[in-house]
Amino acid sequence: MARYGMALDYKNCINCKACETACKEENGILMGADKHRIWVGTGEIEGQYPLLDLTSNVFHPSQCQHCDNAPCEEVCPTQATYTDENGVVRVNIDQCILCSYCMNACPYDARYVDDRTMTVDKCNFCAETRLARGETTTACQNTCPTKVRIFGDLDDPNSEISEVLRTREHYSLKAHLGTKPKLFYLT
Amino acid sequence: MALRELVNKIVPIKEDFSIKSLLGFKKTPLNVLVFFMIMGLLLLLVWGLAQFLMHGHHAYNVTREHPWGLLISGYIFFVGTSTGLCIIASLGHVFGIKEFNHIGKRTTLLAIITLLPGFIIILTEIGHPVTMMIYNILTPGITSAIWWMGTLYGLVLTFIILEFGFALRGNHKWAVRLGIGGLIADVAAFTTLGSVFAYLVARPIANGPFIPLYFLLTAVVSGAFFMFMIYGFKHKLNFPEEVKITLVKLAKILGLLLAVTMFFEWWRIITAIYGDMPERADTMMRIIASTSFQLEVLFAMVIPFVIILVSKGTALKALFFSSIAALISIFLMRNDMVHHAQMMPMQMLKKTEYQLAPTWIEYSPSPVEWAIAVGALGVCFLLYYVAEKAFDLDEDDHH
Ligand code: SF4
Ligand code: SF4
Ligand code: SF4
Repeated sequence: MARYGMALDYKNCINCKACETACKEENGILMGADKHRIWVGTGEIEGQYPLLDLTSNVFHPSQCQHCDNAPCEEVCPTQATYTDENGVVRVNIDQCILCSYCMNACPYDARYVDDRTMTVDKCNFCAETRLARGETTTACQNTCPTKVRIFGDLDDPNSEISEVLRTREHYSLKAHLGTKPKLFYLT
Repeated sequence: MALRELVNKIVPIKEDFSIKSLLGFKKTPLNVLVFFMIMGLLLLLVWGLAQFLMHGHHAYNVTREHPWGLLISGYIFFVGTSTGLCIIASLGHVFGIKEFNHIGKRTTLLAIITLLPGFIIILTEIGHPVTMMIYNILTPGITSAIWWMGTLYGLVLTFIILEFGFALRGNHKWAVRLGIGGLIADVAAFTTLGSVFAYLVARPIANGPFIPLYFLLTAVVSGAFFMFMIYGFKHKLNFPEEVKITLVKLAKILGLLLAVTMFFEWWRIITAIYGDMPERADTMMRIIASTSFQLEVLFAMVIPFVIILVSKGTALKALFFSSIAALISIFLMRNDMVHHAQMMPMQMLKKTEYQLAPTWIEYSPSPVEWAIAVGALGVCFLLYYVAEKAFDLDEDDHH
């Protein structure tokens, strides 16, 4: 029993997209631009040389926020979307009726349709692959060359993530919506 | 004819009703045209359903960013019209406006035959309808507006079919009781459907109490237009006195509701734009700049309102024609509403996503989506035709 979360030292991201590839490989995600559990947001560099705005060129890796108060779960008519015993928001594909309500309700565009099962899929912190095998890292975290991601148990005060969140400033995305994300961006 | 007797025991059917009487319509050019129109619509639906059965959601143009499309809007159009008709049907027996007594039975029937095509459409929109029926019961998501909406519409259908049955049998007491049940369930169901959008905290343009209220208002508006269309066809624009009185009264109610709807729209637009709040003001600016929005305001609100205002509700012929235009506009209006809720990309950190900068999200329905949403109208017309031949839809005198 854990309460998994992830901290992202996002300023270290170099946009190599290794995490996107690793996620597809580990979790057998289909090819195609729409079919992704994880992404890296990039900004075009703004301004005219030599007055370039370097801060505009930052990379923002992201994925499902595993909201503690998840809108996707709240709107699901069949409880196909649920929070498992480790605080991971997951989809039970046998129960999903593809009403797409969760895709519309998720404020983070974290969900898409898996064309094989025609049900909704999203990041599940590798719950069916790595966590199921007893590992305690995710594929995206493991592969990252600059170690952007720190994954671990938020309830364990001695975990690396708890330590980092105690000692470094961080923020969550769209926190004003009350979704209580478990993804934290380290500043 | 054992089957006939059996049915007759449950609800009385007309003496002369038979397959022959169904096919034996007068071959006037208008009738033949209507016949081919219904057949065309049904063929379209069958083709659409076949494509759905073969390819499922792949036959639709919905995407990750725009997961709801024309089928959701088609569903809203039909069930909304049905809710409106249910409310109009209750004006007489439930609310005691006696001019509406004699249309009660026919209007209840119209509410049933507009609800059924809605159900056909939604079953093709849901990716796994059978799974839905199982898990809606086994693991009900009671915090989900879709769950409540589905459950309430199940109740509505039960209520209004029973109400219609009792009305046909001349059992007014039970027809009225069931009518009240149906009315309450129907208003709850359609406003809950509005809340499906209204609950979306992530989408400022939809979030809030506006959509459920607007749904309720426009349901009656669309039901009233539907009445004008059906009665216009039925009487070939030569309305008998009794019908005329009812329709003029209905036109006045419609005029009032249209005024309220325009008032609603006005304040919705102004409050969305004022203050320039991101994701709300810019979305609204885009909405009011779109041709489809302007057309729907013109044809579904302004024109009929002006006709009613100028003629004091008596220009029934003009209202008939404007009702057809208005119904088409309301169909597009439902589509717009669904699209507007989704057209703002979730800003997130995806400043560019796979090298494509997110812009306004576009959606245009696939041929299959069109075929199902429009073809379902064929079911509606066919059922009406059969019911008109089979049942006595005019109210008994004893009331
Ligand atoms: S980010 Fe979206 S999909 Fe993930 S838990 Fe939150 S609402 Fe659900
Ligand atoms: S698409 Fe599936 S997971 Fe999403 S709300 Fe509907 S049933 Fe639940
Ligand atoms: S945690 Fe696992 S499933 Fe989620 S984005 Fe990373 S690799 Fe993919």
